[in-house]
Amino acid sequence: MNLRRDHVAGGAFVLAGVVVGILSFDLPFGTLASPGAGMLPMLLIGYLTVFGAVLFVRANESPPLASIDWSDFRHALPVVAVAAVAVTAYTRLGFLITIPLMLFFLTFVVERRPLLPAAAFSIGVSAISYTLFGLLLKIPLPRGILGF
Amino acid sequence: MDRRRFVAGSAATAATAATAAALAAPPAWSQEVYPSRPVSFINPFPPGGAADVVARPLAAVLEPILKQPMVIETKAGAAGQVGAQFAAAAKPDGYTLLIHIVSISGFAEVDRLYGRQVKFTNDDFIPIARFIADPMVLVVNDQQPFKTLKEFTDAAKAKTNDLIFSSSGLHGALHLPMALFLKAAGVDMKHLPTNGGGPALTAILGNNSQVLCSSIAAANVHLRSGKLRALACFGAQRAPALPDVPTMKELGYNIEFYLWVGMFAPKATPENVITTMRQASKQAASDDKFVRAMKNLGQDVAYLDQPDFKAFWDADAKRVQEAVRTIGKV
Amino acid sequence: MEIFDNLLLGFSVAFRPDVLIYAFLGCLVGTLVGMLPGIGPLAGISILLPVTFGLDATKAIVMLAGIYYGSQYGGSTTSILMRIPGEAASVMTCIDGYAMARKGRAGAALAIAAVGSFVAGTFGVIMLTLVAPPLANFALRFGPPEYTALLVLGLVFLAYMSTTSLARTLIMACVGLLLGCIGIDVMSGHFRYAFDIKELGDGIGLVPVAVGLFGLGEILSTPSKTVVGKVVPPRFAELMPSRQEWRQSVMPVARGSVLGFVVGIVPGSAHIIASFLSYAVEKRVSKTPEEFGKGAVAGVAGPESANNAASTGAFVPMLALGLPTGPVTAVLMAALLIHGVPPGPQLVTEHPQVFWGFIASMYVGNLMLLALNLPLVGLFVRVLQIPYAYLYPLIIMFCIVGVYLVNNSIVDVWIMLIMGLVGYALRKFHFDPAPLVLGLVIAPTFELSLRQSLVMSSGNWTIFFTRPIAGVLFAICGVLLALSALSWLRQKDWRERLAETETGKK
Repeated sequence: MNLRRDHVAGGAFVLAGVVVGILSFDLPFGTLASPGAGMLPMLLIGYLTVFGAVLFVRANESPPLASIDWSDFRHALPVVAVAAVAVTAYTRLGFLITIPLMLFFLTFVVERRPLLPAAAFSIGVSAISYTLFGLLLKIPLPRGILGF
Repeated sequence: MDRRRFVAGSAATAATAATAAALAAPPAWSQEVYPSRPVSFINPFPPGGAADVVARPLAAVLEPILKQPMVIETKAGAAGQVGAQFAAAAKPDGYTLLIHIVSISGFAEVDRLYGRQVKFTNDDFIPIARFIADPMVLVVNDQQPFKTLKEFTDAAKAKTNDLIFSSSGLHGALHLPMALFLKAAGVDMKHLPTNGGGPALTAILGNNSQVLCSSIAAANVHLRSGKLRALACFGAQRAPALPDVPTMKELGYNIEFYLWVGMFAPKATPENVITTMRQASKQAASDDKFVRAMKNLGQDVAYLDQPDFKAFWDADAKRVQEAVRTIGKV
Repeated sequence: MEIFDNLLLGFSVAFRPDVLIYAFLGCLVGTLVGMLPGIGPLAGISILLPVTFGLDATKAIVMLAGIYYGSQYGGSTTSILMRIPGEAASVMTCIDGYAMARKGRAGAALAIAAVGSFVAGTFGVIMLTLVAPPLANFALRFGPPEYTALLVLGLVFLAYMSTTSLARTLIMACVGLLLGCIGIDVMSGHFRYAFDIKELGDGIGLVPVAVGLFGLGEILSTPSKTVVGKVVPPRFAELMPSRQEWRQSVMPVARGSVLGFVVGIVPGSAHIIASFLSYAVEKRVSKTPEEFGKGAVAGVAGPESANNAASTGAFVPMLALGLPTGPVTAVLMAALLIHGVPPGPQLVTEHPQVFWGFIASMYVGNLMLLALNLPLVGLFVRVLQIPYAYLYPLIIMFCIVGVYLVNNSIVDVWIMLIMGLVGYALRKFHFDPAPLVLGLVIAPTFELSLRQSLVMSSGNWTIFFTRPIAGVLFAICGVLLALSALSWLRQKDWRERLAETETGKK
């Protein structure tokens, strides 16, 4: 049997159903006249598992797993990594440090733009947004440990 | 000689004291005057909610007093718990303060009830000032025949299934006073929890529920138009807005319950910060603009400074915790 | 005619130069905040609330309302250009609006959205002028059983939400509904799937999920080297919709306006549901449902009109009854209260200047927004000319800043990022995220109103059929299900045609 796209997708949803089901065991199911906190989740988990199984069973009609094009992963991974670091830093270092650095990393390191335009872009955009949001609209942007 | 020694001595003492003071206090250049940058008030409810409508006019009058911007930061979630937890864990430097309502005292109790980890208790906050305290009022809609609380309790006892009360949510500010009353009156009634004060009011106006404990401010428009009828008030005295409505105490129930709004600082906030804020709050609470804004909301400013507020809060917390335990785990 | 005297009074207020300026400011700021991902009308209004303290009540409410409906216009812009919902109600516009943009019809999509919004907004105000009080009582009769019925209707329409096969659509819906279960259960106080994160107490927000799934997912699966060629700056005539595109959008705009207004009156976050329903209705009545998701004009015109009409409809219970039916009207009400103008039955008699001035300013505001947005179409389209290597970091920045601002919550930003990855993965396995978003919207309200109804009836399920409005809605659900079953039995329907192209070796 060669592995097809929906084998993986269907299997993943069945597995997800089982995992969430285990997480929901302590929720009271209630009765039909007075449903508890666990009734809707349990029903949904049931449906999810069934539909996942349907997908799995009918997987032979789907294209082979190997046909999925993952070439954009080399773009997605660094973008997500940079964004994740930025989110971690956002409330700790504050807007004025995090955002220019994130923009600079994405443009200069990830996208390999020339140094000067990348730096000018990062600093310029951050300064404009800070002026617009923080100063003109008085929106509380996160301040970092350094106090700004 | 004695005298000279005394003079010299006192000079020395003074000098020592001065030195000690100079040593104890941080060097002048680092000693910040509070506030030296914008102060954030955490609003733990959605915009337009009970804390927000007090916080915004308050911030507007505090700004000229403290000469720094006062920023309202909305951190809504879990019926006010998210904002309170954030403020409890914030750096206690006086730049993150909390505006919260009566329900602040209930979170720890609810968490214990459900076996969840308690993230903060009242001890994690220093009360600074209370600004308003709106007594709750028990209302029925115009489709109900009841004119007095007694008629209502009798009817509720007779046929428990026909009457439903709505609330802003389980263990919420509109549920707790009702629970206290039901327990005191020995009545059992069906509960329709909704997800906020607005929906709770909508439910009773649409006759999907028949009874509600509301703040006077929220119910007043509908009391005036006759859509709702007030049966009893939860204040210690009759409310100025509703002079004809008897209090629970007059009717023989020893219950008090207010929808109050106060300002808190995280514990370990320095004393000088608290003092500055207390003074500023006192000034703000008597400011014309603030008083007028509260009047527009249908509230009277019920300002309490720290010591009185602390005493009030301790008593109030007992009421709230009792109410939460009365309701129990549903 | 009393109504004309009243309107005349209203316009005499609305056309005062100082009031006009504030209306314009409101519309402008609304358009801007609507465009930023995440920051919808709610955040926009609460941010600018303090600015209005110095103003009198009329100017304040005119400006705040301008922000509200202005953001409804602005929300479509980023949806169409970058597939990022500027605010929650423009999620549906992302699908066909962005597809149109990829076909080079970004200008047309923007213009149709603007004109549709104008027509729907104006229709809404006319209705508001004429029939607000009786309609308000209708809103009150909409209790938990009726709400349950409406959401069941939404679930029935769910089958029309997606371009993928039925099993895939239902899987996505289940996932969405399950995500909607996260948080404290209002009825019983249980904290479902808490993972010790208090921020999840009110559930997962729609904004971070939608921005992540649609916007971020799109960025992640679009490497910069695949973005080829500069868009040639189009001439103005090419920016505007063609005669055929106009024709295709007439009926959807009309249907969207009526549907949106009616749903908008209903308490709750109705404008989101209105746009979902409108999309489903358009697809249901369309002769070419397979076009949806690939740039159908009706898929932009319908939902955009619906959400604007709904945002006007939401004023009905607020003005006529003094009831805040949603988060946005709650803020507007608070603003009115702080200014000493309590909304409610007495508003018209006690403050006619404010009431009619406000109504009249909405006519003016809608015109202003049209005048503001149509000429800007050309400018907005040029945004796409920014080199992609600079554009997408910019978008990511706005996503982080905007999503954080909604609730000052970093947890929301993490949810957005995770949903971006989920959206990327779903795309690889050919799943469509739209039903997931619908499920997320429906789940909490559906469950709550279902269980509330059962409290009201002491566990008797007949409550759903004995109340007239609920009964009618359920009857519609039944007919729709029967019709689909019939067409499924009789012949291959469009879904199977789709499934064939999907599974077949394309």
